[in-house]
Amino acid sequence: MQANEFDGNAAFAGGGFMPSQATQTAPDRPSSSSKNSDARCLTPVTVKQLKDLSKVGESGISIDGVDVNNIVLVGIISKIDNAVSDCTFRVDDGTGWVECTKWIHEHVDSVEVDVISVGMYVRVYGQFKSIQSRRSIHTFSIRPITDFNEIAHHFLECIYVHLYNTKLRPRMTNATDGMTAQPQVANSNSGNHIMGYSYQTNSTNQFSNQYNTDEEQIRGISSMVLQYLRRPACLASEMGVSSDIVARELNVSVDKVRKTLDFLASEGLVYTTTDDHYKFTDA
Amino acid sequence: MDTSSPAAFVNGGLLRMHIGRKVRTVIHVTRSDAGSVMGKSTDGCQLVVRGSPPAPLTSYVEVIGVAENENSIRAELWTNFGDSFDASNYDQLCQLANGELKHLFL
Repeated sequence: MQANEFDGNAAFAGGGFMPSQATQTAPDRPSSSSKNSDARCLTPVTVKQLKDLSKVGESGISIDGVDVNNIVLVGIISKIDNAVSDCTFRVDDGTGWVECTKWIHEHVDSVEVDVISVGMYVRVYGQFKSIQSRRSIHTFSIRPITDFNEIAHHFLECIYVHLYNTKLRPRMTNATDGMTAQPQVANSNSGNHIMGYSYQTNSTNQFSNQYNTDEEQIRGISSMVLQYLRRPACLASEMGVSSDIVARELNVSVDKVRKTLDFLASEGLVYTTTDDHYKFTDA
Repeated sequence: MDTSSPAAFVNGGLLRMHIGRKVRTVIHVTRSDAGSVMGKSTDGCQLVVRGSPPAPLTSYVEVIGVAENENSIRAELWTNFGDSFDASNYDQLCQLANGELKHLFL
């Protein structure tokens, strides 16, 4: 028997489909797992936040220093373009508008789309896409809103997640007890989805694995920092790179970067040239 | 909805900050005539909304339009919000959206 643990997947050993295997290996590669679990989260946003994105890379977007892939929007339908294979809605949430395209593959999709009309408040779940600087939302789900408290609630959530990502999250790396208590917010409707970074309705394991100790976090970004310092430009510079620049380039807080650089220096992977400047120790 | 100017969340007290600009607010309808609706804002101020409301009108209605002066709005879009609505929640949102979190909205 090759399975280390006695679990259900042992019965399917060799079958290939072992989802728990994938999650077991995740902690061994903290940087990639953090990227994956970030992308799986759902972030409530305003259209203004989407329009404010300065850089839109191929690997996705980031808002407030956090990778964002799937988003929730709440707004009014101002235009509908109905084609055979897809339906494009213009959703205006009072902070701006964005086109949301829902592809129609099956009957459920057309049923979903048929109930939507112009002037209706809707909740949109989707993925932000920027194609040739034209920004749109690839829509997974679009539903009419029946309880209008949802509108205020959505914007308050946007505010909460923004404040969490800009104020609480950076501070958490310095907290001695690791993770502060995460508020569990009950979702107003069909709460099967995982929301944002601060609360998850289904499980907090993913999240607590990431932020349990300073150590794990440092390990997570140390590969990023090393990669950055190994760039030809950084290697060529005699003075090295200051931690501020590293933090800015990697979109990580300066505190975290400094701790990581200290750790890497103690391992002998980087060394300091002058005060707060670091260089990779290449052979 | 005219999307060239986003609509600011306002209550009665904040309306004066956006005179001439697009605003959105929820009022608790007290009286409704053919050309205007009078209602209480989420912070208790009396507001007048000019325009043609939908019929029937529910107790709470969201109005998106242009602020004419500190207690009247010329409505462009009306949405019935039903008969039960958390006004204090909405009021808090208005204050936050006009405060230091303004950059998320306008």
